[in-house]
Amino acid sequence: MSYYFTILSPTDTPIFNIAFGTSKGGGDGIARFRFPDTAQYMNQFIIHSSLDIVEEAQWTNGGMYLKHVDTYPPAAAYISAFLTPSGARFLLLHQPPQLPSGNASLGSSSLLGASGSTTRTSSSSVAANPTSPQTEEAVRQFMNEIYESYVKSAMSPFYKQGMEIRSPVFRSKVTAAGKKWL
Amino acid sequence: MAAPRHSAMLSISNASTPQSTSSDKTQVQQPQSPAGTSGLRVPSNRKTIYDRHLNRSRNAELSRASFAYLFGEMVSYAQRRVTGIQDLEKRLNEQGYPLGLRLLDLLFYRATSTSSSALSSSSTSSSPPNRPLRILTLLHLIHGPLWRLLFQRSADALEHSVSPDTPNEYMITDNEPLVNTYISVPREMSMLNCAAFVAGIIEGVCDGCGFEAKVSAHNQPTEMWPSRTVFLVRFGDSVMEREKVLERAGVK
Amino acid sequence: MCVSTKLHPRSALAVFSLIIINKAGGLIYQREFQAGLRKLSTNDYLVLAGTFHGVHAITRSITPKLPLQNTASPVASSPGTSAPTTSGFSYPNPGVPVSGLEYLETDKFRLTCFQTLTGTKFLLFTDPMTGSVETIVNKIYELYADYVMKNPFYQLEMPVRCEAFDRHLGAWLRGRT
Repeated sequence: MSYYFTILSPTDTPIFNIAFGTSKGGGDGIARFRFPDTAQYMNQFIIHSSLDIVEEAQWTNGGMYLKHVDTYPPAAAYISAFLTPSGARFLLLHQPPQLPSGNASLGSSSLLGASGSTTRTSSSSVAANPTSPQTEEAVRQFMNEIYESYVKSAMSPFYKQGMEIRSPVFRSKVTAAGKKWL
Repeated sequence: MAAPRHSAMLSISNASTPQSTSSDKTQVQQPQSPAGTSGLRVPSNRKTIYDRHLNRSRNAELSRASFAYLFGEMVSYAQRRVTGIQDLEKRLNEQGYPLGLRLLDLLFYRATSTSSSALSSSSTSSSPPNRPLRILTLLHLIHGPLWRLLFQRSADALEHSVSPDTPNEYMITDNEPLVNTYISVPREMSMLNCAAFVAGIIEGVCDGCGFEAKVSAHNQPTEMWPSRTVFLVRFGDSVMEREKVLERAGVK
Repeated sequence: MCVSTKLHPRSALAVFSLIIINKAGGLIYQREFQAGLRKLSTNDYLVLAGTFHGVHAITRSITPKLPLQNTASPVASSPGTSAPTTSGFSYPNPGVPVSGLEYLETDKFRLTCFQTLTGTKFLLFTDPMTGSVETIVNKIYELYADYVMKNPFYQLEMPVRCEAFDRHLGAWLRGRT
């Protein structure tokens, strides 16, 4: 499973983003997207295109964690959203690993990805099924942990709403949370 | 006063990380950011803000006197070069606004983590509080939890405007605003209410939740409560429209 | 809170009036708490405050000194003493700064003067029979520290016009009688 996580300020400015892979079931925590050449901007594109749906869901669902909100089938990308009360949006794009049968299209990175994915698909919870309750729960825990770090950032007197979060400590906190839950 | 301080900071950041100064424009007032790539400065006890627990100061008490002096200085600061009472109230309001945005996140974080620690793995039972979607939920949030977070008690009243012309106006009453405890406003400024600062906090909370609003503080003394203050919350048209849609949709 | 108390004509706890003088000798606050006191004009109050300030300064400088024993002479002039001690004399209590006039008693009233560290003087006129004047003065000082000094609209050394101070002072004194 590969992840792309981004935080958008209430005014739709990206204030933090990170790509990482699963660490469960022997994963090494490195992101391997299906289309590595275009992933960098396609991920952003996919995530931002889900904003409309998030905004719709925002006013019907009062929870902070909105669960899985959007899917982008061409890239097999699933998007989960978390809304802070002050309007920041945490969006997580997750892409399950490609099944060994379908990875012929990939070039250089496919060997690495395939060797990892066989072990990962066999592992029970998070990796295989992006919409399973276990995955939702894991993402929820992940989001809650990020939320804590985000509140700490926001409480800093040097931080103004909408400012990019540059702290390396924050980044390492996100990485740690990813390792722990995803 | 501000100029030499800024230039001093610039020179520091120039000295430590010369490569980063050209790239960012807004970083002058953010001393920790130039260290973003290398040389992060960590406090001597190795505890950054991310290592401190947010609930640690939950029940901590703050000296009322030190707050009074601090707030007094804030008022004096806002009073410099103002053109009138409205201007002064606007400045106090602006000082409170970012605080409201922050408190909102903190409030929800604490509400989430009280029943079960956010870090414990088996916390499926507690459901975090919902974000307010309707005006009334929002106002109850301000009247209750927010007031308790700030002043350790609820506000004293919450009313809806009785006039049919102004259905977007709500009133929150505080009989004895903490910020005004030691303040006597001179007679020539009798319209002024320094709780405009608190009004700014409320405005920040409303805006943060997506309810565009203007909030102002008004003196309404009674014999019993000489510093009684009414916070008038006026929601914008977009909010009222959405409210109608949500009501039809049956959203609570 | 708002009970209108009937004033006792000559209560044993009576506080007649309060005057606050700033460190330069200017009158910054004056209030009467008893009906039937003879009225002075504002100018008279100003003169009274200025005169008292001078008298107070004089009483401070005429504080008698005691001759020192020869044995103690090198250590006696402790740095805490504000007055320039001539070598052979010292104040009875060298550690404490010279205070000047503290009480003035007549058969009709008693004047208590309390000076803060910053030189502001509180003059309290009470009935000579009133006990625990110190408590009253301390409370007044506390109210002053709260409602005058914490008020952002109060300018130092200027006349005190703080509605909350008046209100709390009045309420507290009423509650005592």
